[in-house]
Order: sequence, then structure tokens, then C-alpha cells
Amino acid sequence: MKTEDIFSLPPEEKNQLQLERLQSTLNRACRQVDFHRRRMADHGIDPAGIETLSDIARLPFLNRADFSEHYPYDLFAVPLRDIVRIHTAPGTTRNPTVSGYTAQDLSTWRQMTARALGAAGVTPHDILQIALNPGLANWGRDYKEGAEEMGVSVIPNTPLSMEKQFMVLRDYKTTVLITTPMMADYLAEYREKSGLHRDTLSLHTVILTGETVTGEFRRSLEERLRVKVWLHYGLSDVPGAAIAFECKTRDGLHVNEDHFLPEIIHPETGSPLPAGQTGELVLTTLTTRAFPLIRFRTGDRARLLEETCPCGCTLARIEWYAHRTDDIMNIDGVSVHGRQVRHTLESTLPIGPETFDLRVGCKEGRKCLEVDLPMNNTIFSDEIKELERLLRGTENRLRENLGIPVMIRLVEPKRRS
Amino acid sequence: MLRIRNLKCFYGRIMAIKGISLSVNEKEIITLIGANGSGKSTLLEAVSGLLPGWTGEILFDGEPLNGFDPPAIVRRGISLVPEGRLIFPPLSVYDNLKLGAYTLIKKGGHAGIEQDLDAVTTLFPILKERFRQPAGTLSGGEQQMLAIGRALMARPRLLLLDEPSMGLAPLIVEKILEVLKVLRDKGLTILLVEQNAQAALQVADRGYVFETGSIVLQGAADELLADKDVKRAYLGKDYGEFDEN
Repeated sequence: MKTEDIFSLPPEEKNQLQLERLQSTLNRACRQVDFHRRRMADHGIDPAGIETLSDIARLPFLNRADFSEHYPYDLFAVPLRDIVRIHTAPGTTRNPTVSGYTAQDLSTWRQMTARALGAAGVTPHDILQIALNPGLANWGRDYKEGAEEMGVSVIPNTPLSMEKQFMVLRDYKTTVLITTPMMADYLAEYREKSGLHRDTLSLHTVILTGETVTGEFRRSLEERLRVKVWLHYGLSDVPGAAIAFECKTRDGLHVNEDHFLPEIIHPETGSPLPAGQTGELVLTTLTTRAFPLIRFRTGDRARLLEETCPCGCTLARIEWYAHRTDDIMNIDGVSVHGRQVRHTLESTLPIGPETFDLRVGCKEGRKCLEVDLPMNNTIFSDEIKELERLLRGTENRLRENLGIPVMIRLVEPKRRS
Repeated sequence: MLRIRNLKCFYGRIMAIKGISLSVNEKEIITLIGANGSGKSTLLEAVSGLLPGWTGEILFDGEPLNGFDPPAIVRRGISLVPEGRLIFPPLSVYDNLKLGAYTLIKKGGHAGIEQDLDAVTTLFPILKERFRQPAGTLSGGEQQMLAIGRALMARPRLLLLDEPSMGLAPLIVEKILEVLKVLRDKGLTILLVEQNAQAALQVADRGYVFETGSIVLQGAADELLADKDVKRAYLGKDYGEFDEN
């Protein structure tokens, strides 16, 4: 369906479209994925019994742990030879999360990202630079392809130092930047420190993703870079970017409801919450072919806005809040789970059951994972070089798994009281 | 224009359609594709009032069709071109066409019938040539044209077609499907059931893929044409079988 059509779809027609797509998604999932078929059967649910959108509340949730348990391909709903892209993201356990796309899925993502970019005023006259962590590589690809589809000139996501990133921004006359709040903040700071005038940049639009921002942060960034700031919401571990996006009103994010069915649930009880109440965002894919998500618990805190958007678009809006509902850390948009960090640490370091502390730090405009590891006799070596080698090796391994910067520090063991 | 929600159709105790939802908007050609026995024709029978045993919701212009008999449904603006044409072989082409306007004539609406006949014969000039011939002497393609012409004589706003390509040569199929496009461009809405998915998707705006009484996929016709699952459905093989080959 064309973007202009979906933006003005009357509620009743939207409801019909979503119901049709939900029912066929459930039929496909049950016919082609053992996991979904078994779970529906265990809950005594026949897909034919899902007769309204609210009936979805009868279906069980899908959690991140399910991805790792069904590593690598058990949740795919099409034969492997229909898959044209395989994406890996850090999982919550030893296994990473593997998701796939069919050619049709990729086309859908192109449409969705193009729609979101269009809503932010991006046009084929723009030069768009993507600066995201390697952990958000799939978003980088989605944005690149969506923008290319629109005819925008794209500078794809490349791991560059901040200095180089800024050089490209200035010299290539970038007009639209897609990045994380932390990196945007750092670029603004970098410009101020270098004494460069705001007018040296051609930038007019910054699209932030990965983490939500406060109104204050947005205003400050807009002032410091003389840009308009827009916010996008996506899922990093499973596809993909720009699931929800801001329109010109920039008051809440419109969900691509023709492709995703959003629900807000109570994080503890799991029961659905009415519009207006804050809870955990749960998403169900409506068109995805390769990797359907049925009631996926995102762990993100949000609420559905009740009022119709002044922009006239009838797609539902969410307000996205900073604090998650689960124990996953959001580091520049990448989901990091303590269990997965422990697995990596245990596989490279001789550590016991002692607990380590995980923190979100900051390193040159990128958020990073800081691990405080209590020193013990097995790690200790009287050769500093050997100790360094061990720690740097572990950092590299973690960085490779998570796609974000990592710093490990040895700390004094906590005394038992 | 036509909105179906959670339609379940039964033949005795057997559920032939297991809760499907679909919609047809004005001036669209929608095609239902899928293997034999997947429930496509059953759906047309339910919409046209020929199948008594169904539950769910069928709305035409926002009004439920529950409990209406076939003539009432025709009067509301829905005509069916049945599978296998079902023309009246001993009757002339002219009489067959006139029978299509039965509900109008019964209402006293004789006026305009000649005009409608002209419109049909403009669309299918061959029928004009065969006007006085018994319909049974027509070729398969001509009979199909007659069946479509007869359905048009009831002045439908929604035309249902069940397997119009069945048993016809590819060239004739192409011609008939081209006529459907002409009709759509003139403002008619069309719901087309076809096993010849390739041909149907070439003229359709959107499509739904049926599999054993359920819809497993829907989308724009060009998307479905490129879809590997659709090719499998078109071949009438399920995913497992296809993989093993």
C-alpha cells in the first residue's frame, strides 16, 4: 500500500487491513514454524479463533530468550533458499540471535525506512550520512537502502573515528545525519571545541535512533547544530529500523501499523493496557515473511497516544520512554544482557561465580559497556603483559559479539560482610 | 465495497473455509488464488447466497448479506459467473443474455435492456454474430464470454468470476482477462477466483492466497507474482513437497 494511502486510512479500514494480515501471519507461522504451532496448541488456540485484533491477547508472548533457544534457523517461516539476507545480533545467552529476510521483506523495509525519512522531510536533493555502531549494522543497511530507493545521496555507515566522521559531515556537505543521541551530542561538542562556526556545516536534519531523548536534549542539539531533530524507533536484535517515526508534528512516533501491530502490556502481569497508559511495548509483525514475531516483548517502555495526530496521519502514535521494563541495557540502541556478557567472560577468563558490575560508560561520543571485574587469584598474573593480553583479548571478544566499545577494569574484590 | 470478516463455511460437518477475512475496494480487481479445494469457490458461493451454511460477516456496501437469497443478492448488485459457465445450451445466445437481466425484468425494468445488450455485444462482438445460435454450439471461449455477458446484464457493481480460464486456450484467456481490465476501468469491481495464478495476477490489483480453507498471504499483485510461495501455491504443492523435489 502506498504511503499516502496508509497515512489517511480510516480507522475501520485500518482495522480490517490489520486483521487480514494478522490472520494470515498466524496461519503462515503455524503452518511453517514448529515453535509457533506447538505453542498455539499448548495454549489451546486455533488461529481461526483469532477474530478481532484484541483476541491477540490470548496468544503467548515471544521473548528474546526464544531466539537464542531456537538458534540458528528454527524460527524461520520460509525455506532457507527463499532467504536473501541473514542477520546476526547479540543474544541473551550463549547463542546469538539470527534473523532472516526474504527479498519481499527487504523491499518492505525499504518502503518503511523511506516512509520514515520522507516524514522527516528528507528529499532526493539531500546528502544523507549514516553514523551508527557496528552493533546496529542492519539499521545502517535499512536506512541506506530506504534512502537510495528515494533517490537520496547516501554516505553509508562506516566505522570512522569521530574526527573523520566530522570531516565527512563538513566536507561532503551532509544535509541529513542519522545517528544515536550520544554521537550527535559528541559531534556538536566536537564542533564547538574545534571553534568551527555552525554555518560551516550544511546539516539541516538529524535523525536520532537507538535511544529516546528528552525535549531539553532535543532543543539543545537543535540550537547547537542549527538543525531540526527527529526521532525514530527500531528493534536492533531483530529486524529492523524505523518501526515508528516522528511526523512533522514531532509529538510521539507513528507506528508503521500496516506492518506492525503494537500493544502496550503491564510488564509484570502481561495483561494488555488501554491507550494512554504506560507499559511495555509488544510488537507483532503483520507482513514479515521470513521471521515473524508474534507478540514480541520489546522491553521498551512506551504508551499509545489516544488523540489523533494534528498531522492528519491515522497511524497510531507511541510515546517512547527511556527506562526499559527488563534487565537489558540499551547501549546506543544495542541490547546488552548480563547473561550474554557472563558467557563471554567465562569462555575467555578463569572467573568463578563472583558477580561483576556492568555499567554504561562513554568513550569519544559512543556509549560503551564498562565491566568491573573483581580480581581473583586465577586471573592474577605477576606479569602485567600477560594480564593485559587476557583483558584486551576479552574486550575484543565482547566487542565482536556486541558491536559496541567495551572496557574491562579489574577492581578490588568486594569484602564479604 | 465488500468486506468479509471471519467467514467460516461448512459442508455438513466439514469446515471448508476456516475463518477468513478479506476486502474488495471499489474499482479493484482482486484475485483469489490457491490449489484446488482450498476454499476459493466456496467463498464465491457464500457471497452470492448459494451456500446456506456459513458464519461470520459478509458486508456489501456496509450492509450484511446474511440471510439474503441469490436473487436478492443479485438485486443488490452482485453477479456471479459460475465455474463451468453453466449457460443454457438449448437457448439462443440472445435468450441466455436476456435471462441475465431476469431480476431487472421482474422488477419491471425492461427499459435499458436493449442498451445493455448493445454494451455486452460491443464488449464481445462475437456474441452479436452468434445471437440466434443455440448457446450449446459456441466454442468454450465464446461460452465463457456469454457467461460473463449474462452476468453483466444484471448491471452488477461487483462481478464474481469462478475460474473463467478453465479449459480455454491461452490466447482466449488473455482476451477474457483483458476484458476484465476494461470493465474495471469503466468502474466495475471484480473478484476473480483463478487457478491460473500467473494470468490472474497479471490483471489484478491485489490478491489473496488460499491454502486449505485459510488465507496464508495477501498483497499487491506484482508482489505476489514475484513471490516464491505463490509459485509453489500455483503449482498446487505444499511447502514440504516442494522442498523434497
